[in-house]
Amino acid sequence: MLLNELKVGEQANIRYISDDVFRTKLLEMGIMPGTLVTLHLKAPFKGPIAFSYQNTLLSIRNEDAQQISVDKLSLQA
Amino acid sequence: MKIALFGNPNTGKSTVFNLLTGLRQKIGNFPGVTVEQKSGVLHIKDASHELIDVPGVYSIYPSNKEEKVVFDLLFNASESDKPQLGILVADASNLSRSLFFFSQLIDSGLPMVLVINMYDIAQKKGINIDVTALQSTFSQSPIVIMNARVGLGKERLMQAISEQLDALKVESTKVTNTLKKLSDLAGQEKEANARNTYLGTILNKVLQEKEVPVRTHPLDRWFTHPIAGYVIFASILFIIFQFVFSFAAFPMDAIELGFEWLTLWLRNILPDGPLSALICEGILPGISGVLVFIPQIGILFFFIALLEDSGYLARAVFLMDRLVRPFGLNGRSVVPLLSSMACAIPGVMATRGIPNYKERLITIFVAPLMSCSARIPVFTLLIGLVIPKMKLLGFIQLQGLVLLGLYLLGIVSALFIAWVMKLIINQEKRSYYLMEIPEFKRPLWRNIFLTVLEKIKVFTTEAGGIILAISIVLWALASYGPREQRREAMRALKTTDTYMHVSQEEQEGLKNAVLLENSYIGIVGKGIEPMIKPIGYDWKIGIALITSFAAREVFVGSLSTIYANGGSGNDLKLSSKLKQQKNPDGTLVFSLRSGISLMVFYVYAMQCLSTLAIVKRETKSWKWPLLQVLFFGLMAYAGAWICFNI
Repeated sequence: MLLNELKVGEQANIRYISDDVFRTKLLEMGIMPGTLVTLHLKAPFKGPIAFSYQNTLLSIRNEDAQQISVDKLSLQA
Repeated sequence: MKIALFGNPNTGKSTVFNLLTGLRQKIGNFPGVTVEQKSGVLHIKDASHELIDVPGVYSIYPSNKEEKVVFDLLFNASESDKPQLGILVADASNLSRSLFFFSQLIDSGLPMVLVINMYDIAQKKGINIDVTALQSTFSQSPIVIMNARVGLGKERLMQAISEQLDALKVESTKVTNTLKKLSDLAGQEKEANARNTYLGTILNKVLQEKEVPVRTHPLDRWFTHPIAGYVIFASILFIIFQFVFSFAAFPMDAIELGFEWLTLWLRNILPDGPLSALICEGILPGISGVLVFIPQIGILFFFIALLEDSGYLARAVFLMDRLVRPFGLNGRSVVPLLSSMACAIPGVMATRGIPNYKERLITIFVAPLMSCSARIPVFTLLIGLVIPKMKLLGFIQLQGLVLLGLYLLGIVSALFIAWVMKLIINQEKRSYYLMEIPEFKRPLWRNIFLTVLEKIKVFTTEAGGIILAISIVLWALASYGPREQRREAMRALKTTDTYMHVSQEEQEGLKNAVLLENSYIGIVGKGIEPMIKPIGYDWKIGIALITSFAAREVFVGSLSTIYANGGSGNDLKLSSKLKQQKNPDGTLVFSLRSGISLMVFYVYAMQCLSTLAIVKRETKSWKWPLLQVLFFGLMAYAGAWICFNI
């Protein structure tokens, strides 16, 4: 599934980021396949989403989140 | 020595910068580019050094213009511009991400000092850093623990910088640059992967983290709520506007009054003549016209800095981004645009936070269309003149409705033009919106105070000169004219019946009107009458239009002079006088049509010298302010024509 399809509170591991510019940019920030993310906030009207990784809350636009495929964790932390 | 201050966004880099340099800051440009460079003087022992605040990035390899500055500073700068030492500010809660950039900088051959900031907060989250182990890994770079917000660790940092600088003098053996100047994406990705693996092994040894899941603040649910979020944002803006309008008025009046006194005093002690006129009517009002903006700039930036420093602004941006995206704007455009409804100058200056150049440019371009407070006197006068005092449905004031309509026209037009520009302007590279949402913090007054001071300084020193120069030129054009023509007109006036049968005060008014009519500006105003006739104005309005190029509210004063109202200050008298003005064919000069046409003209026309000066300053080119004059001028004319002729 894609990152923007997670519900608030759900956790997932990043599987793949399709766009290469975006992938490199995120990699430099420490986000890569295997990184654990938690979805925290969704802006109204399919606006940006905010997810946490490590100790950061990061927001990205909805269409950029669609570039990120994730494996949802079945158990809630 | 030049010392560069690096860091990821949101690591407290600015706080460290403010702590080290205080009031000794100045604004310039990075060599060769238009990206703004903030630098400050850092005194250590007896030596002073230049500390350069480098934009916050995650990596040496750039993905946009701002970030390219970092790469160029390290690899492409001339020897004199290159820093000899670097300081990296790391957020203790995000050590691994900071070390990524830090290790790149070390590899680039720059001697470094590592600051681990906000360690107290990290410890509360259960993060422990084995600093000794980390220090032995990066043995060449002293590591300093800091809590910059409360000033903790400042002395230790100064000590570390000083030691590192001393070491530079002794060791001539420079560290070699092992970092590749990668420009291809695949190479960068490979490099980043290798670096992450290498850092991972180090972090395993030095970092102890309890598995505490990140939690957002309970307030965040409200701040980003589909209904409550917008209500809260609107309320905050409403409060800010109340403050700007009610509090800015006092210092603004005080500045203007102070200058009036100064002018009176100088007029008395200076001998009559061109020098006295230049100082009292040209230069002093010009300076006053610059300084009068300071209260609005100061108050607005006080609030913007408060929102930014506390962390709320990031939530507002998050909430608003989707709404303004279709118009080519960024969530960060919202506060600048809304600030422009008080005054476009701080609005344009506030666009600095928009990371994407295209989105920033669009925001700057359309900001003057938001109806600013200088339009209020013009709209009030014209609405009072041509819109009847009546109520719709028994309770809606028609006059108020028209005023609301003018504001809405400005907003809708701004969004429309932004949308058109989005389609026209080419984007160099695909941009991403990546924004950290920081934790809420108690605002730091030092940071806020320094922001306000910086903005005021930039406006007065960099835009002030242009504003002063052009306003003196405009004054000269309005007070001088062909001598023969003026003398002739004066003689003609003195023989008229009206002149001979009125009081001395009214005679003065009539004289002033004739003088303005026969000044250079007056001549131009008359000259453009054929052009403005189709939109319903006579040459008298033409003169007022041209004089109000300096600032919109001048329109009222100019009309007052030209209709010999005997100076400003009596708007009611002016209004009744204007109501009686007739065209040669017997129709009213200020009819419903010409009145609305004028209002629409003022919604669009780029009649504000100060805004143009600040747009030039922020875009570093005359291209954009000139395009604004031309484009908004055409829109004003077209809009006015439609209103007058339909």
